[in-house]
Amino acid sequence: MSNQSGSIYGLTILSPIQDELHLEISHSLAIRMYLQTLPIDGKGPFGKVSSTHMARLVVLDDVVYFGMPSCEEHLQSKYLIFESNFDGDLETYLKRLATEATEEVHSIWKHCVGYPGVTDVAAFIAYMKRCQVETTLYFADVNDKTVQQTLRALQTQSAVTSFIEKNQGKSPADLQKAFVEFSKHLGNTPPPKPGSIEGKEFTDKLL
Amino acid sequence: MPNIHGKAYAMNTISPMKPWKTYILRFFFFIWRHYKPLGDGLVELSFIHFARWVIVPRYSFPRLSEQQPNNDLRYDYLLFFSNFNGTWNQYIDAFSAVLFEGLNLIWRWSEKFPGSRPVTPFKNFIVRGQIETDYYYTAYPYAATNDVKAAHRVQAAFDDFERLSNGMSAVKFAEAYQQFLVKVQRDLGETGEAPVGT
Repeated sequence: MSNQSGSIYGLTILSPIQDELHLEISHSLAIRMYLQTLPIDGKGPFGKVSSTHMARLVVLDDVVYFGMPSCEEHLQSKYLIFESNFDGDLETYLKRLATEATEEVHSIWKHCVGYPGVTDVAAFIAYMKRCQVETTLYFADVNDKTVQQTLRALQTQSAVTSFIEKNQGKSPADLQKAFVEFSKHLGNTPPPKPGSIEGKEFTDKLL
Repeated sequence: MPNIHGKAYAMNTISPMKPWKTYILRFFFFIWRHYKPLGDGLVELSFIHFARWVIVPRYSFPRLSEQQPNNDLRYDYLLFFSNFNGTWNQYIDAFSAVLFEGLNLIWRWSEKFPGSRPVTPFKNFIVRGQIETDYYYTAYPYAATNDVKAAHRVQAAFDDFERLSNGMSAVKFAEAYQQFLVKVQRDLGETGEAPVGT
């Protein structure tokens, strides 16, 4: 299936944006203005849906004309492109979007043609699937690890680096004791939240 | 800047293709999906988290209501989305230097594609077809692709060492610890802000 690479799903959605000529602020501009206000860290919509590795939203105003001898042509609607790379299956992901990022999803997609709202989750999922376009070729460099596994691994990498640095020259007995304590502490510490920019200062607390 | 978040850059491009040419491109994509030489090249470059090509046939732009005007298009469109590390120039330069044959096979079916070498007209082509990102999210903004791969190697080595060293004498533990250090030394480090590039 070309939408998937290993355990990662590559979702591509093109939602037509409403066009009402009498509006002072067009729907496409309203989407852009709203997106500018959204946090890009874990407090944003995709941070809430924690299976999201990477996602983007793009307003496609029109197709591009590259010059003669090709023909100039135009789309009759603007489109909201939603591109996401996430763990698991499509239905679960769309359901999580509707239920865990309800406010943001509604504020964005209410400007799109045929959007049924998020109250009826089944209708929302059906709508998003109508807007889905098949990915023709999909590439994921690391395609067998979940977001949580990657966040955990990044935390371990940073913590182990600090541990090694701080325990140089210790006797075997002291080193072993320090490692056992470190290992226990690391195991009991949850990984950073998705979208977090915490790095060394986070793992330093483990030591 | 919405195209950039931490160490990741979100690139989007669109280019028109004559409909009969999309069948040829689909054939190449089919070959790549099943024999993977392009995927191997991208893994080798190791600065792309995720990338995708999407062919949208001229009659397949979603139309969800009778009130929505019908598109009347002559061309199919090739969309390309990439999540890469580094600067825009580094990315295109590396693509042009390492994957030029693969790129030519993908984009030669698009109108006015100049070839991926020399790089200047190729960059002009990309610039013309690039669409700005309005919102970009990544779950691990301070980690490059190589950081992610290295972290998973450290995690695997750490899990092994933790399991195997359990119950060892202090002297045996110290020996095993040295072997663990040798195993992970190339993958140690921590994530953080990307250097400023151009």
